[in-house]
Amino acid sequence: MPKKKISPYYIVGGAFLAVIIIACILSLLGVGPSPLKTNSADKLLPPSASHLMGTDNMGRDLFARVLSASKYTLLISVAGVSVALVLGTIAGMLAGYFGGIWDRIIMLLGNSIMCFPGILLALMAVAVWGPSLFNVIWALGLVFAPTFARVYRTEVIKIKERDYILNAKILGVKPLRIIAVHIFPNAFTQIIPAVVIGLANMTLSESAMSYIGLGVQPPKASYGKILSDAQSYISTAPWLIIFPSLMLVIYILGLYFISEGIRGDR
Amino acid sequence: MKERVTYILSRVLELVITLLIVSLLTFAAFSIIPGDTASVLLGINASPAQLEALREKLGLNDPLWYRYLSWLKGAFTGDLGDSTAFGKPVAELIVSRLPVTFGLSFLSLILVLVISYPSAVISSGKPGKFWDQFFSVIGHVSFAIPPFVLSLISILVTSKIFGYFGVGKYVEPSKDFFGYVYCLLLPAFCVAVPKIAMAFKFLRASILTEKNNDYVRTSKSRGLSNIKIMFRHILPNSNVSAITALSIILSDLLGGSLIVEQVFNLPGLGRLLLQAIGRRDFPLISGIVFYLAAMMVIVYFLADILMNLCDPRLRKNGGNI
Amino acid sequence: MIYADYILEVKDLSLDFKSEGDKILNNISFNIRKGEILGLIGNSGCGKSMTALSILGLLPKDARILSGQVVFDKNDLLEKTDRQMREVRGKDIGMIFQEPYTALDPLKTVYKNLEEVLTEHEDLTREVRREMIGKMLERVGFENTGDIMKRYPHELSGGQRQRVLIAGACLLKPKLMIADEPTSSLDTVTSMSILELIKSLCAELRMSVLFISHDLSIVGNFCDRVLVMKKGNIVDSGNAFDLLYNPQNPYTAELLSNSRLDPKQLDLEFNKPSFSSECALKVTDLCAGYTSGNGFRKERKEIIHNLSFKILKGEVVGLIGSSGCGKTTLTRAICGLIRPYSGTVTDTKGKLGVVFQDPIMCLNPAHTVMWHLAEPLRANKIKMSKDELKKAAVDALVSVGLDENILGRHPSQLSGGQRQRVAIAMCLMLNPSLIIADEPLSALDTSSGARILKLLSQINKERGTSILLISHNLRVVRAATTYVLVMDNGNIVEDGPTKNVLSHPKTEVTKKLLLAETTLHMNPDRQQFMTE
Repeated sequence: MPKKKISPYYIVGGAFLAVIIIACILSLLGVGPSPLKTNSADKLLPPSASHLMGTDNMGRDLFARVLSASKYTLLISVAGVSVALVLGTIAGMLAGYFGGIWDRIIMLLGNSIMCFPGILLALMAVAVWGPSLFNVIWALGLVFAPTFARVYRTEVIKIKERDYILNAKILGVKPLRIIAVHIFPNAFTQIIPAVVIGLANMTLSESAMSYIGLGVQPPKASYGKILSDAQSYISTAPWLIIFPSLMLVIYILGLYFISEGIRGDR
Repeated sequence: MKERVTYILSRVLELVITLLIVSLLTFAAFSIIPGDTASVLLGINASPAQLEALREKLGLNDPLWYRYLSWLKGAFTGDLGDSTAFGKPVAELIVSRLPVTFGLSFLSLILVLVISYPSAVISSGKPGKFWDQFFSVIGHVSFAIPPFVLSLISILVTSKIFGYFGVGKYVEPSKDFFGYVYCLLLPAFCVAVPKIAMAFKFLRASILTEKNNDYVRTSKSRGLSNIKIMFRHILPNSNVSAITALSIILSDLLGGSLIVEQVFNLPGLGRLLLQAIGRRDFPLISGIVFYLAAMMVIVYFLADILMNLCDPRLRKNGGNI
Repeated sequence: MIYADYILEVKDLSLDFKSEGDKILNNISFNIRKGEILGLIGNSGCGKSMTALSILGLLPKDARILSGQVVFDKNDLLEKTDRQMREVRGKDIGMIFQEPYTALDPLKTVYKNLEEVLTEHEDLTREVRREMIGKMLERVGFENTGDIMKRYPHELSGGQRQRVLIAGACLLKPKLMIADEPTSSLDTVTSMSILELIKSLCAELRMSVLFISHDLSIVGNFCDRVLVMKKGNIVDSGNAFDLLYNPQNPYTAELLSNSRLDPKQLDLEFNKPSFSSECALKVTDLCAGYTSGNGFRKERKEIIHNLSFKILKGEVVGLIGSSGCGKTTLTRAICGLIRPYSGTVTDTKGKLGVVFQDPIMCLNPAHTVMWHLAEPLRANKIKMSKDELKKAAVDALVSVGLDENILGRHPSQLSGGQRQRVAIAMCLMLNPSLIIADEPLSALDTSSGARILKLLSQINKERGTSILLISHNLRVVRAATTYVLVMDNGNIVEDGPTKNVLSHPKTEVTKKLLLAETTLHMNPDRQQFMTE
């Protein structure tokens, strides 16, 4: 058997993700200066040996802030997608397998949620319940759940008419076992690219929410918040824009490349 | 004919139910606020008399279902009461901001269509060759740039290189239409870029799928050229699936516009919404959210009908492939 | 009417794929006379479709022609430019394909689908085009052509679509028609009528036909001359009649015996049930069908009407009928997958095994062979120790002729025939009293099909398991069953011992099926039937 070539998408995507994960680990280990320490003498310094990415308007070290932000970005995207995945899996499986009135109700609810453009529903939820890490996670999880439910539903409908499922029914396997053991493993392999893309979209949404001030709250750092703070100094301190943007794009691009790699393998 | 009527009726019914669920979700979000709404609005220093007056004014003493019904009636008649922060009717405030947000979304939709279609056709002509690789790489990268980041970068670049590019200077369409389009062009581009990549990717994949279909082989065996097959068979067929994708993209563009307005300082619905959130102006927030969502409900409904008109197979199965 | 001169001469054609080393076509040469129908026969992958595509210049991008000439009407087609080839395609050479379900643009009406042939090659007014298409549709057997022209492809049956495609290929009265497996996805009765249509068009338009098929026995009544291909070479050729009745080449003989399914050659033996033995399955007054609904109202579509029959223990029963007669619904009702509207089926839970048509989908790709063999036991709460389980699994594999080292494999690592065998082994795990085999051969090539049939007969002989064999293929039923049920329109119209029913058919349905089959395959039984 010839050795299979690893797709370049995996290599580049993996390298990009490694950057973010290393940043996250560094932040957890507490390497470098504190992201919260202000220093009025070191305001808006350009990148140098002592401040790798320069400092912001309050004299905080941008490198430390970016490391800390990557931690929250990773946390929110993974936690949010998990919430969405659990809700979406249950809803999609039930709708797809049982069909009929279940399907109608679940899909109507899902479609209704998807009618709120972009992050509007999450914004509204956070506006009412107050912006906190926990609220951002469940609100975004809810917004993303219908996407997963749809993918699952389509897969389940496709799979449930296959002969091996009919055979399982004939053998007398119970419906819940059919869903869990016969359908789920096959549907799940199909949903992996959607999960990876979901992580990327979750990050996009979270950064946008943080940018307009309704996501991660200070003193916690996030890419969106750093960027919105930096906007006033856009012409005098462009590094405040460039570095966080670059990290954000690297993370999303990394995820995107991985999903392309998976797609290419199929 | 009878099939057509039942189909339309069932879709209209679905439209109404979806609108009701959307309104219920919006209303519920504001009715299950933790704690007492009036004290949330007035703060902890308010006197009991003030609180009671506000409760009466907001109708908080009425039962929940009554409040929902009167809110729903207001929503469908366009009368959602006055904004608590601006003191003006909610509907009037929303209408005054529409030109910015809709102009931005519409302009970016045009950009998406104009750029993604030709590049997808060129790219799928010779998959794996130079132009395909070229467009795909650009597509990958631009998909990963969030609109607000792109806006910041483009402000940075334009201010460094060209000086100024109409940033922060909004021109009313009634005064100078070209000025209006001009000032929205850069923001619209920033909103559109990731969605251009998305539409490109979708169209390319769907054209390549259609290309492998047997009817393409049939047409080839009849002597049609590749270009004719592309325009006569492949594109119409991939358009059917593109309609759904494009309606979802339109929803994303609308959501993106709300954010990008904030970066470019444009007085649109997004800014109004943020101001309302900042001042806890619940009637205004719920009005903006409900009307935007209701608009998308109608867009999806129209997309569905359009798809049904394009694809004869859907007519027979009552809308399910 | 066959003329002496050639319309197409293929000389020393060789072809390979850039990515693969082996030649797909190896110096093949043949010719077609004017007005002749030439059959090109071989198993899948032998290069017959590539031959057809290289004549039309429609080869996949990956393929390249190494040497040879394709002389059509005194011109070498391989030397023509793409633009020149486009003029030949559709005008001088027409082509029809295997899968009529997807070969028409689904968004366009029949008229629009056909019109492009005319707009591409001729400069005609709309009225003339309409008239030509109407005439051609009438010629291929449609009655109300005005209505057909307005229909969309999904509103037509498979046979009707194939007729539309034939109309498209013949619109400009081409000199040569290439038919690539045009009947493989159609049932026997429709196949026969399509072949008759092609044959009569061939005579009327003085057209030559290159007919490609994997089924050697089908070409007997249809082709004038036959070529047999194997791995890119032409291994045998000759007059169709000689080749069929007196095959000299061993490969031709093998193809022929596989596709004929002669019970004596296959060495099939069966358990002989005594009439006193009890029933393995008893169906009484069964009414069943599908309930469709959109949540608001439910619509019942009854497909099976008041159907009764029984299968004795150890008996092999065949069920035949053309597509759409309700075979699938009946199977589902017997298996308990749909609830009957009325009537009863004996309780079969745990005593029934099913072998499906499609070997690709019969096993769950996420699990190993061992998991599959254990699943029937788990589902029926039969507890076994690990060693016992393994022993039972190995036993089942051995009895279907497989090796125990495939236990750890996933379905993707097995061939189609192997998967079908694993599916049968799954049935055997419960030692069922009845196995339902739903078209188990139709997705396999003729040789693996014959082996599966042999395996089923072995199981019946050794274990005394009853078998219900569902097929649209009369040869299968004739070879492998002792009793036969003929189904039409949701009911059983005729039944009896297979030999009697198939040699002295009583009902129109059976006669029609038999006639189609005998014309199609030129079976030795034919004389007997014709003289009745």
